[in-house]
Amino acid sequence: MSKPDITLAVADAAVTDASVESTPSTAHRRSKEPVNGTLIAAVGLVVLFGGWALAVRYLNIPSYILPSPTAVWKALWSGLAVSPTDPLGYYLPLWGTLKNAAIGLAAGGGLGLVLGSLMAESRTIEKLLMPYAFALQSLPKVAIAPLVVIWFGFGDGSKIAIAGLLAFFPILINSFTGLRAVEPEKIDLMRSLSASRLETYRIVKLPSAAPYIFAGLDMAVVYALLGTIVAEFLGAQQGMGVVITQAQAVTDVAGVFAALVILGAFGILLHGIVRGLEQRIVHWGRGRK
Amino acid sequence: MALNATQTAPTLTPAPRAGQRPALIQIRNLKKSFAGGRVQALSGIHLDIADGEFVCVVGPSGCGKSTLLRILAGLDDYDSGQVTLGGTPVTGPSRDVGVVFQQANLLPWLTVRENVALPLRVGGGRREGADDVDRLLDVAGLKDFGGRYPYELSGGMQQRAGICRALVRNPRILLMDEPFGALDALTRERMNLELQRIWQATGKTVLLITHSISEAIFLADRVIVMSARPGRVLRDLAVNIPRPRSNDTIISHPDYPALAKDIRGLLTGQGEE
Repeated sequence: MSKPDITLAVADAAVTDASVESTPSTAHRRSKEPVNGTLIAAVGLVVLFGGWALAVRYLNIPSYILPSPTAVWKALWSGLAVSPTDPLGYYLPLWGTLKNAAIGLAAGGGLGLVLGSLMAESRTIEKLLMPYAFALQSLPKVAIAPLVVIWFGFGDGSKIAIAGLLAFFPILINSFTGLRAVEPEKIDLMRSLSASRLETYRIVKLPSAAPYIFAGLDMAVVYALLGTIVAEFLGAQQGMGVVITQAQAVTDVAGVFAALVILGAFGILLHGIVRGLEQRIVHWGRGRK
Repeated sequence: MALNATQTAPTLTPAPRAGQRPALIQIRNLKKSFAGGRVQALSGIHLDIADGEFVCVVGPSGCGKSTLLRILAGLDDYDSGQVTLGGTPVTGPSRDVGVVFQQANLLPWLTVRENVALPLRVGGGRREGADDVDRLLDVAGLKDFGGRYPYELSGGMQQRAGICRALVRNPRILLMDEPFGALDALTRERMNLELQRIWQATGKTVLLITHSISEAIFLADRVIVMSARPGRVLRDLAVNIPRPRSNDTIISHPDYPALAKDIRGLLTGQGEE
């Protein structure tokens, strides 16, 4: 069941390439018929929020089902316009969630890269580990979360563990796939130079697999955040998951929406950071044939 | 490496030049098959290449000329026969061999200078006699492009960098697998001229594989024509046209038309069989 991940990652990389290539044609089209992309997005946003506000008001939707945009904005503002150390604000829970997700991502992603590399280098290790990777990958990993809480408790440990578990697979599969996809001519080059295995890995295979690994990282960042939130749902002292469950407990649906807005914004921000990192590190991709 | 060099030495005639200069590359009754012996790629190759000689190999597609080069480079093993470089049997890649690949095969994440210097970084590091990277870049007309990335260079410049990389360890032998096949005709002629110049300046022993008859005649001391698969040496033709040769004068040399006709006849004759 890890097949979808491979295709996802490759498709993602392909999309990146396509979007890079399509940039000139988009510019060309823009010069032909003056359509402003930002304007369209703004109009769409206004229609969405306007429709939402009107629907809530005139269809008599109760606020515990769908709060009005203004109610969500108020909840959002009340969480943001406070001192960073205020326990009722978003800053402390957000920091807790992001910190645990980041540690989980580093641990799970790091392990994924190491094991993916070992599997790519050695058929024996591949044969040994691949069945377990497939088996674990087929398992809905969120279902393991209660077990992880038993093992690691309600503290940061269980959050980090679940975030790491979820971040592990996209990096494992993508690094393995990318390292195996290295052009044979480049391996021949290193062989003709009597390069050591480590030199070939470091100088040829790892840079060559970098676009795959970044596609995996892009997914892993979101998964780590997801894993942390799920673990927080099961019980935690602090975190955005706790903010959501607490708001839910008092039917403060606007508060739930506000927390989701924060998480969504950070999802986009993290995606942007990964993309920026990739463009910086995989800088040769722009001119590649 | 399965070097089953158990076959007895062949009794076939040695190459014509072998007696004049000591053979640096010696190939005796070399056989190689793929797919568990079902596809025979090389069936008993005999070839001697003298120190400092420039030899071109031409042959129909799939005749095993690339396989021959890979065996010499120590990248592929062989079934039987003997392959020696400077008297030493080939058991793997050697420091005395520089390989120039089809396309330039540069690493896109390294600058041109880093690509050319790569052989000094890997496989045991720097050794004595290693050529200065910047001097090589200068010779190849890439002095101002050392800091650029391969995608910023034209195809011809990329392949010149590939040749620099093959030369940087100062090997005695240069193996070139259709190095200019992807270039346009004019660039190719210019690259041939430059390669001749580099070869004359460095005195390397070169084995170059090509599809182009004119390229083979322009560059080679000897043109080896190979048969269709399973590959063997069909003819060993000496090119006695004085050097330095130029793209203008070579076709007007009296030997040129006959040579070209011979090679073409051998190649097309093969195709009809």
